[in-house]
Amino acid sequence: MLKSKTFVKKTRKGGVLKVVREHYLRDDIWCGSAACGGCPQDRPVLEAEPEIDSTLCGFPHYLIPDTNVVLHQMDVLADSAIRNVIILQTVQQEVRHRSGTTYQRLRDQSNNADKHFYVFTNEHHRETYTEREQGESSNDYNDRVIRVATRWYNKHLQENRKDGDTPKVKVVLLTNDRENREKAQKEGLLAYTVHQYVKALKGNPELVDRLAQVDMGESTDSDIKNEATGRVLFPEHLPLSQLQTGIKSGRYLQGSFMASRENYLEANVLVHGDDSRSIFIQGHAHLNRAVNEDVVAIEMLPEDQWKCPSSMVLQDKDGDEETSEPDLGSPKGRSNAIPSGRVVGVIKRNWRPYCGVLQPSGIKEATRHLFMPAERKIPKIRIETRQAESLQGQRIVVSIDGWPRNSRYPKGHFVRKLGEVGDKDTENEVLLLEHDVPHQPFSQAVLNCLPSTPWGITKEDLACREDLRDIPICSVDPPGCTDIDDALHYVEKPNGNIEVGVHIADVTHFIRPNTALDQEAANRGNTVYLCDKRIDMVPELLSSNICSLRGKEERFAFSCIWEMTKDADIVSTRFCKSVICSKAALTYAEAQMMIDDKNRNDPVTVGLRGLNALAKILKKRRIDAGALTLASIEVRFHVDSETHDPIDLETKELRETNSMVEEFMLLANISVAKKILSDFPSCAMLRRHPQPPPSNYDILIKAGKSKGVDIETDTSKALAVSLDQATIPGHPYFNTLLRIISTRCMMQALYFCSGTLPESDYFHYGLATPIYTHFTSPIRRYSDIIVHRLLAVCINADKSYPDLLDKYKSQALCNNLNFRHKMAQYAGRASVELHTQLFFKNKVTEEEGFVLFVRKNAVQVLIPKFGFEGTIFLKSQDGRGEDSPFVFNEEESSQTAGEVKLRMFDRVVVQITVETSHIQHQKLRIRLVKPQVPGFTVPPVDTSNSAEPPVKKVKT
Amino acid sequence: MAGLEIISDQGYRIDGRRSSELRKVCARMGVFTQADGSAYIEQGNTKALATVYGPHEVRKGRGKIQHDRAVVNCQFSMATFSTGERKSRPKGDRRSQEMSMHLRQTFEAVIVTELFPRSQIDIYVQILQADGGNYCACVNAATLAVIDAGIPMKDYVCACTAGFIQDSPLLDISYVEESAGAPFLTVAMMPKSEQIVLLEMNSRLHADNMEKVLDLATQGCKDVFAVLDRHVRDHVSESHALMTAS
Amino acid sequence: MIFCSDTPHLPEVAVTILSTNMAAPRVCVPGERLFSTADCEAGPGTYVHHGYIYSCLAGYMHKRKTEGKELSIVEVIRQKEDAVPRIGSIVTAKVTSVSGRMCKCAITCVERTTLREPFRGLIRKEDVRATEKDRVEMYKCFRPGDIVLARVLSLGDANCYLLSTAENELGVVLALSEAGAQMVPVSWCDMQCPKTGSKEFRKVAKVQLQQE
Repeated sequence: MLKSKTFVKKTRKGGVLKVVREHYLRDDIWCGSAACGGCPQDRPVLEAEPEIDSTLCGFPHYLIPDTNVVLHQMDVLADSAIRNVIILQTVQQEVRHRSGTTYQRLRDQSNNADKHFYVFTNEHHRETYTEREQGESSNDYNDRVIRVATRWYNKHLQENRKDGDTPKVKVVLLTNDRENREKAQKEGLLAYTVHQYVKALKGNPELVDRLAQVDMGESTDSDIKNEATGRVLFPEHLPLSQLQTGIKSGRYLQGSFMASRENYLEANVLVHGDDSRSIFIQGHAHLNRAVNEDVVAIEMLPEDQWKCPSSMVLQDKDGDEETSEPDLGSPKGRSNAIPSGRVVGVIKRNWRPYCGVLQPSGIKEATRHLFMPAERKIPKIRIETRQAESLQGQRIVVSIDGWPRNSRYPKGHFVRKLGEVGDKDTENEVLLLEHDVPHQPFSQAVLNCLPSTPWGITKEDLACREDLRDIPICSVDPPGCTDIDDALHYVEKPNGNIEVGVHIADVTHFIRPNTALDQEAANRGNTVYLCDKRIDMVPELLSSNICSLRGKEERFAFSCIWEMTKDADIVSTRFCKSVICSKAALTYAEAQMMIDDKNRNDPVTVGLRGLNALAKILKKRRIDAGALTLASIEVRFHVDSETHDPIDLETKELRETNSMVEEFMLLANISVAKKILSDFPSCAMLRRHPQPPPSNYDILIKAGKSKGVDIETDTSKALAVSLDQATIPGHPYFNTLLRIISTRCMMQALYFCSGTLPESDYFHYGLATPIYTHFTSPIRRYSDIIVHRLLAVCINADKSYPDLLDKYKSQALCNNLNFRHKMAQYAGRASVELHTQLFFKNKVTEEEGFVLFVRKNAVQVLIPKFGFEGTIFLKSQDGRGEDSPFVFNEEESSQTAGEVKLRMFDRVVVQITVETSHIQHQKLRIRLVKPQVPGFTVPPVDTSNSAEPPVKKVKT
Repeated sequence: MAGLEIISDQGYRIDGRRSSELRKVCARMGVFTQADGSAYIEQGNTKALATVYGPHEVRKGRGKIQHDRAVVNCQFSMATFSTGERKSRPKGDRRSQEMSMHLRQTFEAVIVTELFPRSQIDIYVQILQADGGNYCACVNAATLAVIDAGIPMKDYVCACTAGFIQDSPLLDISYVEESAGAPFLTVAMMPKSEQIVLLEMNSRLHADNMEKVLDLATQGCKDVFAVLDRHVRDHVSESHALMTAS
Repeated sequence: MIFCSDTPHLPEVAVTILSTNMAAPRVCVPGERLFSTADCEAGPGTYVHHGYIYSCLAGYMHKRKTEGKELSIVEVIRQKEDAVPRIGSIVTAKVTSVSGRMCKCAITCVERTTLREPFRGLIRKEDVRATEKDRVEMYKCFRPGDIVLARVLSLGDANCYLLSTAENELGVVLALSEAGAQMVPVSWCDMQCPKTGSKEFRKVAKVQLQQE
C-alpha cells in the first residue's frame, strides 16, 4: 500500500474551473548515488567518485542545473566531459513544457548510461516537497524548490556516506540567475554560473565555445541593453498570453512560418487548421525575427497594405548590420496583391542545429563571426568563437540561442565541426544532417535481430506457405539493382482466363514488430538514395540478400494473385504467403529484348509478353479515368570507380517494360488497399493525394496562355487531356516543360491512417483511384511493412499487435513516414545538385536550356540534359538594376533587352561553370550565351554540344 | 509539447503514484441511522455515499415482483457540486441511468436474493466528489452498505479501474488520466473467487494488452478488498466491543 | 455503535443484565469460507457452495449443537440482528409520556441488543403489576424519563408494542428525582432521592445483580 501522505494541490484553469489533484509524497525515492549507503537502491546512476578536473570545484561533486541552464546550455550538458548530473523533476517538467526538442535531448542523456544523468523525482519526495507560498511567483517558487532539493542532497550525501574511505561528494548548483545564486550561497550551497563552471574546467577548452550566448546571466531580459548600435531593429514580440487571447478572438492567426527559398525577405505563413490558407509576409520588420518552420502568430495587414511577391530572387549578401532594405517594389496593380500580414510573436521556435560555413572575417583575431547556413531559408547566425581560424574552410554545425531585438542576425554558438568544405564525404554528411536522415551504422541491437546465416528455408516454413516455386516468376528492375522487392508471373489457365501474380519480398517475416530492428526501420522510414550512396532502411543482409528476390534462389514472398480475363478484367483476387523461386532477374532492357525477340518462346518470355499486353490495357484504362502523366527529369551519374567522382551523367531512359512493371504494382497496391480497408476500416495505412487548390494552377494556366494554349484544370481528367493536346509545332520540348510545371502545382501525396479522415479524402488525385496504398516495396519503405502486416492479419497468416491497430499511433507513424519521405526526396535532389557541382568542377560547358520562369531580376532556366535548373541574374540583387539592359514586363512575364525578349519556354544557350571565387560556398554559375545581349552575355566556348533532349521519365 | 505526461520515465504518475498503486482508500460504515445500511468511501478524491433499504415489500410497480427472489433497485446520482463545473442535472441523465443499471446487475449477482422472495432491496449511491473511477467507488461503497444492512451476500464485490496509457498499464486511474483518452477497463469482481461480475471497456484495446490490464485490475480489486475487509472486521468487532465492554 | 440520541447513558445495571458470557467469537465477513459440509450443517447467515459453507453476513460465527443431529449447525449472527422485539422478550424502554390509563415509552434495547432506533411501546394500566390491578395509579408508577424493564406482551397494533411490568423483576430501574439526582430504590413502590431525602412513588423492579 501507499506509504504516503495526501496533499491537495489546487490550480486554476481557464476561468473559474477549480482543479483539485492529489499529490502523494513518497519515502521510497532514492537519491541515485553510489556514494550513498542509506538508500536501498538497485543500480545507482551517479558514480561514487565523480571525477572532473576543475580549478573551481576540485572535489568530487554532482551537478544540479536549473531550468534555464538546461534549456540554453544543452550543448554543454551533452558533452561527454559533463557527467554525474542530477536532473530534478521540476526542471525536467519545465523543460518539457518549454521546448520539446531540448526535452528529448535531455531524455537521451538520462538514457545514456555513460553520462550518469539521474532524474530525481523531487516533487514527490517526502523531504524535498515544497509548498508554494502565498504570492510567490512561479519562477521564485521553482528556484526555491531547486535550492531545497540541492540542500537535501548535500545533507543526505553527508549523512549517508557508505564508509569512511569514500570521499565526500558535494552537490553544485548551476544557475545563471543571480538572485537564485545569491540566495543559494547565503544558504551555504555551492552555486555557480555555467560560464564560471565551464571556464574553470581543465582540459576542455572547446566547451567554452559551446556556451550559448544568450542571457549571460546577469542581464535582465526586460529591455535589451543595446550593445553596439543602440538601435532596436525589430518590433517587440507579444507575450504568449496575449497571443493566445488574440488567437482565440481571431485577431491573430497561428501558423507555420515558411521562409522563401528565393528571397530572404519574403515568407509565407501556412495558417493552422486551414491548409489552403497562406499569408504573405514581406520585409525585415514584418518578418520580425521568425525563422523557417517556427510556429508564429501573425496579424493581418489592412487590405490597402497588402503586398505582392516581388518575383525577385534575393539573397542575403553582405554581412553588415545594415537594415537598409532593397526596394522590393510596391506593386502597381492592386490586383496582384495577396493577403499579407506581419509577425507579432513567436509561439514556438523550431530551431535545430544548422550546417554551414563561417563567413570569412577581415580581422584575424575577431571572436565574433557570421555563420552562413547551407539552407537558404535560414538567416545568417552570429557566433562567438576563438577558433575561427581553424574553422575556415570547414563545414560546421551551429545552434541558434536567441534573436535579440537589436541584432540584425540571430545569435548562436558553435556545436561541432564536420569536415572540409568540398570534400564529398563532408558534403554528403551535411546533406544527410540537413535533411535529418538517420545514417549511423546499424546498432548491435538491430543486427542481433537478423536471421543467422547461412539462411535456409525449413520444413515448418514450407508448411504454412504456398509453394509457388514451379511457376515461371521473374523480376524486372533497373540495372545494378540489388534490393529486388517485386517479381511477376503470368500463366494461362485452362478456362481461358489468365492468372497473374505479383510477388513481393516478405520482409515482415524477418522484421517482427517491436524489435530493435523494427523500431530502427520505422524511424528511418525509407531507404534514401543518394547519387553514390544508399542509406538503407534495413541492414544489407536483408535488403540485398535474404529479402531480395534474386534469380534462381528460393525466397519468401507475399503474393497477390489475380485471375483475369484476357481483357484485364479481374475475376478474383487472392493473397497468400508463399515460397517462390524467381526464374530470372532481368533488367528493363533485357526484358524488352526478350519480348521483342520473336524467336524466344520459353515460359518467362511468353509471360512477359502476356503481361505487357495486359499492362497496356490497364494503362489505357487508367489514363481514361484521368490519371496524370507528369514529368520530371532524373539523371544518373557515371561514377569513377576509384575517385568516386562523377565523370559523366545521363538521364534515365524509359522502356515499355518500366511501364509494364509499374502497372502491375499499381494494381497490386490498389487491390491490397481495398482489402485492408475493408478489414480494418479505422486503422489501415493508405496513401492519398489531394487535389490541389485551383490557385495552384495559376502559374500553369499563365504559362500555357503565353503560348496560346488553354489548360483545363477542373478535374484530373481535363488536365490530362489538355496536357496531351498542348503541343506547339517546332517546339518538341514544350509539352515536357508544361508537364514539369504541372508537377510543381501538385500537392504532396501523403500516408495516412484511414480512421483519421473522412472517406472522401482517401482519393489519389494523380492516379485517379479512390483508394491507394504502398505494398510493393517493403525493403525500402516502412509503410509497406505496415501494409504487409495488416494484410497478413487479414488472411490469418500472422497475428496482429497492439500498435498496429491503434489509429493514433498509426497516424503518428504516418506523419513520420511522410516527413522522412519528403526529406529523402530533398536529400536525393540535394545529392544530385552536389554531384552536378562536382561534375562541372574545372569545366566550362555550354548547353541548351529553356526558360522556366521569368522573375523580376532573373530568369530560371532548365537544362534538360543535366536535369537541373539554374538562375541567371539579369540585374544586381538589390533590384535597382540601373546597369542592366533588361526591362521586366510583369504582365506578360518577359524580360526585354533591346531586341532580345526572354519569355517562358524560350530556348536559350547557357554556359555553366562552377563559381570558385567564393570557396566557402561553391555554386554553379550560369550565364547566358544565346540569345546574345551585348554587354551581358558571354561569348560561346568552342565546343560542339548538340545533344537532343533525352526521353523523359514519366512519373505517375 | 502538448498534453500532460501521464507517467514519467521514472515510473511516477502525475500524482506521484507508481503504475500499480491504488489511491488512498478511506471508508466508514453505518453513517446514517435512518437507512438499514449505509457506507461512505473515499478513493483519493472520489467520494461516494451509499445507502441501502430493505428488504421490504415492493412499493412501486407491483409488476416487478419476483416470486422466487428479491428485486434489487439501484439509483445512481451525482451531487451537483461533485464536479469542477456545477452539474445541472444530478440524476436521470443517460449516463446515470446506465450507471444505475450496471450497479443493479452487479448487485443482483452477489446478493442472495432467493432468501427474500416478493420483496425489494433499494441501493442508493451518490457521488459527492468525482475524480475518476466513479463506478468503482459506487460499487465499493454499496458493498459496504449492503454488509452494513445485513443483507446476505455471496461475497464482497470490489471494483477497480485499470487503464492502458502510454504503453503501460495503470491501476486506479484518476480523472486526469481518464481524460487522456486512452482505453481503460472497469472491473467489478468477487475477490475471493476471482469471478468477474462486471467488466466494461470504454474503447478498443488490443488483445495482447488486454491480459496485462485485466491482471492489473484483478490485483487492484484484491487490494481494494483487503482494505474493505479490514474496515468491515474493524467495524464488526468495534460494535461488539461497544456492546460488551463499557 | 450509535445510540439513540436521547438516551444519555445506558444504565449500568441494564447492561450488566444483558451482557453475555460469550468468549471472543470469530468475526466473519461475506464470502468467507467457514467449514466443509462434511463437518457442519449450514444455518442462518451462511450459504453452501461446492461443498463448503460460506458466510453471507458480516458478524460472528456460532456453532450450535441440536438434539438428535450428528452435525452441529453453523450460523453467522449479526450484532444488530434479532433486534426486533418479539413476544416474551425483555426490553429496556424509556418512558416518554404518562396518562391516567397508560404510559408510552420508547424501546431502546431488546434483550442484550441495543436498537439503532427506538420502537414505540405501551404499558396499559392493567399490565403494570400482577396484583391489585384495579387500584393502580399510573402517576404513582412511572414518570417521563424513567428507564423501565418490561416484557413484550403482544405486537399490539400497527405502531405500538404492548408491554408489561407485572413481574417482580420488571419495572423502573433508573429514575431521576425532582432535584435531578438518581434515586435509589427503597421498597417495591418507593424510591428515595439521595440529595433531598424525599421519596417518590415508582413501580420498582427487583434487580437481580450478577445473575450469571
